Amino acid sequence: MSEHEPLVLVADDDEDIQSLVAFRLERAGYRVVTASDGELALSLALEQSPDLAVLDVMMPRLDGYEVTRRLRQHEATKSMPVILLTARAQEADVERGFEAGADDYIRKPFSPQELRARVQAILGRR
Amino acid sequence: MLDLFGWVSVGLAGATGLFVAVLVARRIWLMRDERSRAESEERLRPFALALLDGEPAPALSTRDAEVFASIVARYSAHIRGEAEREIGRFFEESGAVESSLAALRDRRAWRRAEAAYALGDMASTQAIPPLLRALSDSSRDVRGAAARSLGRLGADAAVEPLVRALAHEEVPRSVAGQALLELGDATLPALRVLATDEDAGLRETAVELLGILGSPADEPILVQRLRDSSAEVRARATRALGRLAAAKSADAVRTALEDRIPFVRAAAARAIGEIGDRGSAGALLELAEDGSHDAAQAAARALARVDARILQEADRRRSGPHVAEFADRVAAGL
Repeated sequence: MSEHEPLVLVADDDEDIQSLVAFRLERAGYRVVTASDGELALSLALEQSPDLAVLDVMMPRLDGYEVTRRLRQHEATKSMPVILLTARAQEADVERGFEAGADDYIRKPFSPQELRARVQAILGRR
Repeated sequence: MLDLFGWVSVGLAGATGLFVAVLVARRIWLMRDERSRAESEERLRPFALALLDGEPAPALSTRDAEVFASIVARYSAHIRGEAEREIGRFFEESGAVESSLAALRDRRAWRRAEAAYALGDMASTQAIPPLLRALSDSSRDVRGAAARSLGRLGADAAVEPLVRALAHEEVPRSVAGQALLELGDATLPALRVLATDEDAGLRETAVELLGILGSPADEPILVQRLRDSSAEVRARATRALGRLAAAKSADAVRTALEDRIPFVRAAAARAIGEIGDRGSAGALLELAEDGSHDAAQAAARALARVDARILQEADRRRSGPHVAEFADRVAAGL
């Protein structure tokens, strides 16, 4: 895969979901880097400056909201698009995600096709 | 020469040694089996992911086919859409759906329960009608497994039977509740109808679920239930409005502070606290003097949330111990 392909950070502590998202995005032509907790996701994001992050909301060490909030505080990642994966889609949770700085959210269980389409739509806009 | 006691001791020592050896061998076998399974999963996972993408399943040995099926079944919990339909097709074509449907008719309850559970991970719509029938099985385990699987399969047709099963405690509350949560918004049309059913138990459950799954659009139905003939329904309607933080319905909830049943008054006070309606502060202060301990305490607690100033300025001797308690808590910053 070419170095010029967009890099996507996928962070989820559930190995099945992480592999599912990573597989689908790799097949769509993206480079993917994975993390299984919030702290690792944050350090990978700061280190590698991916073009987009797909973050699970409920992760150990740092949750998806907090990772998003911290990404917004760093110059290198403050405009990085973030999609939150959430098992809860109550209005308040979605609002909380947007307040933290997320660009979009996807409710679990999700359609892998829809996830790919959302990633493409966000990266296509940039 | 060994006497009888000696021979018995030797025999027991031998038996113990043999038993320990069997245990160790079994442990080693289990560890190897676990490791081999983990390796198979690692090797087969890309094929399972490719299957979700529409590629055919590979030809596999019996052992690998079993591992492969378990990976695919696990993914069914996380996905929707075309990938989910691919999983359904895989289990239908492999014959797993058919054999589980046959097991659902087995005379042994544990086999029926096992089959009902497995069908929930196969993403096949063929399983929905038999699972709906299994909700009336004579075994509680089978009913519970069927409820869980219907939620997993996103079976809209299961909403009403699940609410009935929940209301009449035919399945464990947590299982039916989880299944309905998985069905999410699809439950709302049925819940709105069931909220006015003639069976009070069904109304209670429907109203409670509307508070969890519903939206501000459900406020009018819940407000209507504040005048229900069943006190339990009225209490659940106030709780639901509180959960939805239904500010537009605050006036209606305030009337429930005067309900003749104490636990409804207590529920209304809690709901007012969640809504944060300052207009109810006077009514809450009055309720804080109520003869019912729960209602009075709930009112004082709610008052601390909606208007702490009134609470602190109230005449402690006249307003009673609950107002004093919560005024002290506010003053202490608790």
